[in-house]
Amino acid sequence: MSHSVPSRPQMDVQVERKFVPKQKDLGADVTWAKINKDVLKSLEKPRPVFWVIFFSALALFSFGVYCEVYQYQNGMGVSDLNNPQVWGLYIATFIFWIGMGHSGTLLSALLHIIHADWRKPIYRYSEAMTTFTLLTAALFVLVHMGRLWQFYYVVAYPNERWTWPNFTSPLVWDATAIGTYLTSSLLFLYMGMIPDLAICRDNARGARRALYRFLSMGWQGTDRQWANFKVAYMTMACFLMPLAVSVHSIVSTDFAVSQNPGWHVTSFPPYFVLGALYSGCSGIITLFIVLRYVFRFEAYMTQPILNKLIKMTFAIAMVWTYLDLIEYATTWYGSDEVAKADLVYRATGDYALQFWGMIFCAMVMPFTLLIRFVRTNYTTLLIISLILNVGMWLERFQIITPTFAKSHYPWLWTAGWFPSWVQWGIVAGSFGWFTMLFMLYCKIFPSVSMYEVKEMVHEQNMEEKAHATQTEVHEPGLLPEMEGGQA
Amino acid sequence: MSLSNLIQNWNSFRTRRPYEGQYEDAPYKWAMVIDLDSCIGCNACTVACYAENNLPVVGKERFGKGQAMHWIRIERYWGADEAKATEFPERGAEYLPMLCQQCEAAPCEPVCPVGATHHSPDGLNTQVYNRCVGSRYCSANCPYKVRYFNWWNYPDRAWPNPLELQLNPDVTVRSKGVMEKCTFCMQRLRAGMDKAKTEGRILADGEVLTACAQACPTSAITFGNWADKKSKVARMWKNQQVDLAKNSQEKSEEGIRGYRILEDLNTYPSVVYLERLRNLEA
Amino acid sequence: MKKSHTLALYADMDEAANALKELKSSGVSGFRMEDVVVKSPIDHPELSELLGPRPVYIQWFTLLGVLLGPTTGLVLIASAQASFIYQVRGGRPVVPLPPDMVLTYELFILSGVLMTVLATFVAMKLPGNRSPLYNASVSEDKIGILVKAEPQSIPQINEILGRHKPLEIMGDQAR
Repeated sequence: MSHSVPSRPQMDVQVERKFVPKQKDLGADVTWAKINKDVLKSLEKPRPVFWVIFFSALALFSFGVYCEVYQYQNGMGVSDLNNPQVWGLYIATFIFWIGMGHSGTLLSALLHIIHADWRKPIYRYSEAMTTFTLLTAALFVLVHMGRLWQFYYVVAYPNERWTWPNFTSPLVWDATAIGTYLTSSLLFLYMGMIPDLAICRDNARGARRALYRFLSMGWQGTDRQWANFKVAYMTMACFLMPLAVSVHSIVSTDFAVSQNPGWHVTSFPPYFVLGALYSGCSGIITLFIVLRYVFRFEAYMTQPILNKLIKMTFAIAMVWTYLDLIEYATTWYGSDEVAKADLVYRATGDYALQFWGMIFCAMVMPFTLLIRFVRTNYTTLLIISLILNVGMWLERFQIITPTFAKSHYPWLWTAGWFPSWVQWGIVAGSFGWFTMLFMLYCKIFPSVSMYEVKEMVHEQNMEEKAHATQTEVHEPGLLPEMEGGQA
Repeated sequence: MSLSNLIQNWNSFRTRRPYEGQYEDAPYKWAMVIDLDSCIGCNACTVACYAENNLPVVGKERFGKGQAMHWIRIERYWGADEAKATEFPERGAEYLPMLCQQCEAAPCEPVCPVGATHHSPDGLNTQVYNRCVGSRYCSANCPYKVRYFNWWNYPDRAWPNPLELQLNPDVTVRSKGVMEKCTFCMQRLRAGMDKAKTEGRILADGEVLTACAQACPTSAITFGNWADKKSKVARMWKNQQVDLAKNSQEKSEEGIRGYRILEDLNTYPSVVYLERLRNLEA
Repeated sequence: MKKSHTLALYADMDEAANALKELKSSGVSGFRMEDVVVKSPIDHPELSELLGPRPVYIQWFTLLGVLLGPTTGLVLIASAQASFIYQVRGGRPVVPLPPDMVLTYELFILSGVLMTVLATFVAMKLPGNRSPLYNASVSEDKIGILVKAEPQSIPQINEILGRHKPLEIMGDQAR
């Protein structure tokens, strides 16, 4: 049977190429025991730069706290917000942080549903990112409130006055959606972490052991536990993906439901959701590079996985670009003259710099990902991913500020509004708060999913085995058939 | 209990407002007419409002930052295009007193997360200071931008001793972090309506006026009970052919000046403005 | 009578599978296949097949959650709006349906998620489930087979398990 092979060497090469597996996501040297060792090591002794990051984040956060206390005691006036500019950076950054969270769910839920296995080494920290960005966003809801001390009025709780929140307000939808999202993603994160917590429990000592013992709740990896776990995890994933879409759609209704020019846009929900996924994906790339270095995850956060992540980011960036342009187009060709004037004002008025900055950072910069050097070099990629997120932050800024500066009523058309140092301080503090929490999380909990990487290794091995038998069985059968076709 | 309430009154819970004849049976519906032709931009209404409603004077610096608290403000415009006086431009100023329009379908109301602002049965857009948490969404959604936020704890500085003695005891002094706006001098209306109720009648036309209407030297501001068809304000609305429940007004002839601001946003304001007449040759 | 336990550790899924197969076909009295528990670092569909049907009931709890959550939520929201001293806002209906749908949707997800999590912990017998025999290596890279049986059958079972190159056999009667 195989006698025909030597006579057609070029044919042989073609066939082989067709069956050569693509670059594996994980190296061949990754074994189950090594996974345990590497990931558990990340909980013990990260590179010293971890402490640099952690303490600078702590410092930033402390400054943010100082600004907030200052604002709390003196009134919102210290932020230089005024009559048309009532929201400023607070709401812009709120949307930015909410958006950041969505990609974590995309990776952990959607890619889980469609069995995209490359997500496995990187979904855990993305899901943690979701949780912490939501916590950060929730801070801004509180920070921007005039009477922070009465925040519980927004919560629907039974009380003797029979007063309820206003369920028609997009802010109440926001609060409900964020509450649901935070609860669900926290449970999702926790549930997915239970097998790994059991691993930590089996290997830790002292206080940590007590913590992991408590959190892993006695998981033993029995077949019944696994069977239930798989069903539950998939069910949760099926809930989380539509939830994530609904959350940012609801955040977009903060604007789309109002009647201000530039906000009253039907395409806002998908535009916001895609913007959220976009900024989240570039955030995941940033953290990918940081964690890979700080916790020595080189064996798990590999180039093939990064490459897939970049492809996804690029695709999402293009869809976002399309939706952004479609928003301008519908306004431009629409009959709402005020909205059209607002659009022109955004592009040419006082905030043109921010507008074109956004266009450059978020629409033009993604194309640099097409250059092989840029996307394979970690330094350039880190810079690019940060620039993309700067672009997305500017996008949120230029949704809010120009609309307030030039809305329906001409008497309040104001120019040159600039946020005070208090606002900038709180925004900076939020970045510190997020980084601090995230770094603490990675130090205390396994930020690479051990059991799922093990599954991945198992599958890769099975595949290799199957492939080995497949080539033995199929190759001889394949060639005569082709020969027969030619004869 | 609430469920049966829900089922019994389902129809009224599902009604959209305003509708034709909404105030037919109501005793009161407060409304206003402002004649821009009479307005001379003297700011007496603003001063009266400051005195009546305990508005803090914020000072030059904070005013410059856009944090002023004038519930009624005199806006000054310089006519555009052909209306612009070319020879003496400084004579071309046009004034427009702007106050809360007490919209029947107010954009500020449905967006408040805690329900601090809602519509009263006598057609006012109310603001409950105690309930307000200061999310400022109402201000963001107000097309007229007539809602004012307490950016600072103004009582600290606005009325140094003994000035606090001139505060109106009938009106709350607002603390920092709450939204406030023109109430159509709610405290006067309330007192008047209560008094009339005790006497078993409804308020007569002109018996209660807002501070701005009272102070206006040229009587540019007319205030009254729109539900009373014989009141001056109701007659003016009728003569100006402005319908409360319509978002665009058809005029039977040229020269009828009544209009409502930004009507096309479906806000149904309770304030009618009478267009200014100009003699460009003069 | 009190039952005994034995736990065998295997380095490979295939060996564990063979052990299970033999255990199933051996016909040793004094234990049931339902009492066989596999402990492993990852999920293992190929071993689960050998263990026979072990149904999962979580989805029924989920269904209950997604049915009850939104209906009670919508009724509560609507009656709260109706009893809030009848406040008209922005000319909208007092009980407006589209905004209520938004919240109902969120409650649909929330109650579904909460019921799923609750059911999962009940089904996984967590917290708790301190099994008599556990070895930390099943969370690393070993497959464990735990058998609960009458004490007199344990030697037989141990023999079967021992035929498939176990790394270790643990339990009351382990050699």
